[in-house]
Amino acid sequence: MDRIRELVNLIHSLAPKDKKLKIMNVCGSHEHTITYSGLRSLMPKNIELVPGPGCPVCVCSESDIINAINLSKRDDVILATYGDMLRVPTKVGSIRSSGGNYLMVSAPHEVLKVALENPQKKVVFFSVGFETTTAPTAALLEMGVPDNLFILTSQKLTPEIMEVLVNDSEVGVDAFVAPGHVSAIVGSKAWEIFPKNYGIPTVVAGFEPENLLLAIVKILYQIKKGKAELENVYKGVVKPEGNRRAQELIYKYFYKTSVNWRGIGYIPDSGLELKEEYGYLDAKKVFNLPEIKEEKVPGCICHEIVLGKSYPTDCKLFKKVCTPRNPKGPCMVSHEGACNIWYRFS
Amino acid sequence: MCVGVPMKVVEINYPMALAEAKGVKRRISLMLLPEGEVKVGDYVMVHVGNAIEKIDQKEAEEIWKALEEVIEAMEGGS
Repeated sequence: MDRIRELVNLIHSLAPKDKKLKIMNVCGSHEHTITYSGLRSLMPKNIELVPGPGCPVCVCSESDIINAINLSKRDDVILATYGDMLRVPTKVGSIRSSGGNYLMVSAPHEVLKVALENPQKKVVFFSVGFETTTAPTAALLEMGVPDNLFILTSQKLTPEIMEVLVNDSEVGVDAFVAPGHVSAIVGSKAWEIFPKNYGIPTVVAGFEPENLLLAIVKILYQIKKGKAELENVYKGVVKPEGNRRAQELIYKYFYKTSVNWRGIGYIPDSGLELKEEYGYLDAKKVFNLPEIKEEKVPGCICHEIVLGKSYPTDCKLFKKVCTPRNPKGPCMVSHEGACNIWYRFS
Repeated sequence: MCVGVPMKVVEINYPMALAEAKGVKRRISLMLLPEGEVKVGDYVMVHVGNAIEKIDQKEAEEIWKALEEVIEAMEGGS
């Protein structure tokens, strides 16, 4: 506790007196710690801690989810995905509310057993997330999969969406707290472009309140010195080069391409699809899945919240008609969604 | 689905392993780490059932301390 007080005092003494600072985190677990531990209330008034695109469920395209729902309704298919994806609302309901053949898994390799036990069915793994889930899906493919297992990919890339944000003047990010576990995969070096090319201080942090406060102290030191550097305060888990084997496996099976971010649209090179040679595993090709036109949820501003342009409390639906029990938009569903976190803890 | 959990490896049959945290055992994949890098008794950071990095015991314990609060909060939440 003394250490926390010491860090908070340091933050107050280091904070610039004359300007506002927007420090963005891009990880649902960081946002959880910040909100749950009340770190915002400990900040000087001019320091904003903004949640950015750290929730993969929130940005998974509606088209991918509807395709997953439609697959789950086929008699010959079992759809398997992470629990967070089951309740995400779309214009046709959610995977769970549609009542198809779906199954929750907590690890990609669990679908192997499902496929082997159901040889008469086609098992489709709906693989959603950032680098921390892409690598495990690549690991699954490396293990070798039975003929009746297919992958519906909706994988997105963190450094790439962060670069979109820094180029958006409406967002105005002054510093990044980079995500600890994505960094374990991609390496802290992946964030070098932000201080180097954009002059944005960037610090990789873990998930303890103390570690996050230390990251903010490091950022403020840099700003005080007029410098922008890459620092890492989560060295016990994150190496500069990251997990090379995970990176190799990801790019053995996937290639970078333009993908659709819910409410935001297509962003070049911001996601991954299965390579041409693995087309036989690709549910989009095998089942000839169409691109379904997205319909915005009236009033929902999840897409602005994900980009750090608005806060959950700016949304007219927040806490009124949109709640974790009855989510109207994707940011209210996942434990990593800013609306869900703010609903529960602020 | 992106919450990472430190676990202790108790049995290895590469690429699969049995890992334990707080008395709960779980089958995990070591495929994202080279064969031989992780030994029985080592600690790893686990994401969606995959060890993504080897970590030391002290780091694992510190993370668990913070994580327990998060898990408690999640169970108490929605």
